[in-house]
Amino acid sequence: MAHFTCEVVYRGIFQKNLASRICRGIVLSARKAGRWGIAFGRYGDSPQRNGIPAKDFAIVADSQEELEQNMARYEPQEVDVTICVDDTLSKGVESWAWYGLQPINRLTLPNGTLLMTSLQPAEDLLKDIHKKDAPYALTLLRAKASFSGLWVYREDHTEARILGALSRIKPDFLSLDAVCQAIEEAEWGSDLKVASARKAHERLETRLVNVTEGNPETPFSFEKPKWWEMREGVSIPAIPVGKPMEGGKGYVPERNPYFKKFTSRTMRPVIDFDKCVKCTLCWLQCPDSCFDVTPDDLYDANMDACCGCGVCEAVCPAKECITMVSEAAFDDNASQWEMWRKDKDTYRTWLTATVSDTAHVVRSHGFRFRGQYEQELRQDLDTGGIEITTGIPGENAAAKTA
Amino acid sequence: MAEVFTNATQVLQGFKGVKKVSVEEYFTSGHRTCQGCESALVMRLMIKAAGPRTIVLGATGCMYVANTTYYTTPWVVPWMHTQLGSSGSAALGTAAGLKALMKKGRMKAEPINVIAFCGDGGGADMGLGAISATLTHKEYNCLILLYDNESYANTDIQASGSTPYGANTTFSPPGSVKRIMHNRWKKNTAGMLAAGHPECRYVATVDASYAVDMMNKVRKALSIGGPTFIHSFDPCPKGWDFDPMLSHELGELAVETGIFPLYEVEDGVVRHYGKTRAIAEGRPRKPVREYLLKQGRFAHFTEEDLDYFQAKVDEMWEKWEIPGVIPFWKEKRPAVPMP
Repeated sequence: MAHFTCEVVYRGIFQKNLASRICRGIVLSARKAGRWGIAFGRYGDSPQRNGIPAKDFAIVADSQEELEQNMARYEPQEVDVTICVDDTLSKGVESWAWYGLQPINRLTLPNGTLLMTSLQPAEDLLKDIHKKDAPYALTLLRAKASFSGLWVYREDHTEARILGALSRIKPDFLSLDAVCQAIEEAEWGSDLKVASARKAHERLETRLVNVTEGNPETPFSFEKPKWWEMREGVSIPAIPVGKPMEGGKGYVPERNPYFKKFTSRTMRPVIDFDKCVKCTLCWLQCPDSCFDVTPDDLYDANMDACCGCGVCEAVCPAKECITMVSEAAFDDNASQWEMWRKDKDTYRTWLTATVSDTAHVVRSHGFRFRGQYEQELRQDLDTGGIEITTGIPGENAAAKTA
Repeated sequence: MAEVFTNATQVLQGFKGVKKVSVEEYFTSGHRTCQGCESALVMRLMIKAAGPRTIVLGATGCMYVANTTYYTTPWVVPWMHTQLGSSGSAALGTAAGLKALMKKGRMKAEPINVIAFCGDGGGADMGLGAISATLTHKEYNCLILLYDNESYANTDIQASGSTPYGANTTFSPPGSVKRIMHNRWKKNTAGMLAAGHPECRYVATVDASYAVDMMNKVRKALSIGGPTFIHSFDPCPKGWDFDPMLSHELGELAVETGIFPLYEVEDGVVRHYGKTRAIAEGRPRKPVREYLLKQGRFAHFTEEDLDYFQAKVDEMWEKWEIPGVIPFWKEKRPAVPMP
């Protein structure tokens, strides 16, 4: 009698189809290996919103009875393998269903595995991944985050590669042969995908993480009201009105303290305040009211509220004033305007280095034009297609003049 | 004939330019919408234009579920949920309630805005009857704002009466045998409501990509008196499958291609505004393919589908009695074969 449980942590909508294919693959592979499997999404994540982290679960068991026993739970409280298909989720996961910020390795069992698709070195990721009170293995599959949307799927073999990797991590449950057989027989399968799974099986990088390693920060949390503390009816207090930033100037809106949204972000705007023409458009067009108005009429993106949609960059008329940069390049949510105000020279150095840093992972939010994914996949499938030196950082700075 | 008694409305002048827009936020951060959600922007701009003395009522839909879940809210002003099809009833009831309380001296007589919003599913489909009834009650001041993201987006993209021709939705996945599963043309909601309610003083279409225009239409709708209706066009990165950074651009393209016309009907007079005015005056429109092929929901379109879509949009501008607004033809309409 044995079973194994895994979760797939992914970006809502952008990776919804990817996650369901991974889970489906796990169940089919389990069947090929003579076991029983089931996959399901986390109830609280539905309906999904694009970018907001979500989870799917898959359970594999030796017998049907054991599977049913595991299915009787609302959702798994611990998992043998956490699969994370976007490395910026290493900063934590804030589901939209009022969980607060949870470390990516929260459900990973002691001596379990955190399997992540990433092009970053493990040491960089461990600056973001929260500390855990038990050792675990960080296993990396070299790949770029695979983002698409609800309708057009990016066929970059990520699902096959994850399955190949799993057969290395849990060979007792999912043998490589069973995985390859499942991929072949699944309707989305192909010989090329089987080859991708076999390569991923060989090329995994594993590193043990001990209890002293990781990001020491305590993740943001809040007290939920008890039922007897709730108000009459279903009324809740409104958000108070905002205040001037300082000296009666500027404006900072009050924000919902129970949902910060920043873990929905895969990119963040980096602002060159010296190039700002004060046109107000980034502030006006931001759906998340994330820009604070500074006393000198500049606009400072609040990194607790920004979800990284990139509309500010798209509407900004000044060349290279706002540049979206991969979230992987940052360690905190500090105010860029404060940094700029304190020391302009240091800021300039930091800004130039940040927007021109091509070492960080390329990412695109999704569909931009027909044929885009095919075009991107002409490159090496092993890393998810695109050359690392194209795209963001500074992705749209050049295109904006057109 | 005695004039119908109407409560005073707030004096709301239009913002004169983008730099004059007020900085106060009454719909703030921390809502659970998608990256690049244009409807969240519509909420934010709508209430920015209306100001703090406003009651907002929200029918079920994304802007209800994604904003006010789990005992939290991004609203600074009073907000209440109402059922899917009842934005019209809620607006009318709240306006009538306020009027009665003020008349009886139970609360201070002052102008308070009442805005009810609904999605295209809640407004253009289910709630149409209630909205229609509300627009005939000319003695109550309220605004119904329909945010149209062209599907039931909250429940993961089912087709609605506002879904455009051919779009991929959960109800209409294109297949290898039958490519176009959604072959209904989009409902002309604003035009229908303007034409059908001769005593409604103000009906407008807006697009948050043109934010100042949009806010000024909201202000006009709130200050003109009586029930009013605004139809807002909201690109939806989730349901239309596009990169969220394109939200603003697609809003502009929909207007520039002539797919979504911007107009207001004020006291019976139709006026095209913004880029739509140039189109109505005969200035060239952008080809619809520029708009359609940026969206994953149209990724299955062939050249014939694009041609059909273009021909239908051309009709709006060349054949309709009032271009883009009222689909009465000058001559008998020929049947256009669908691809």
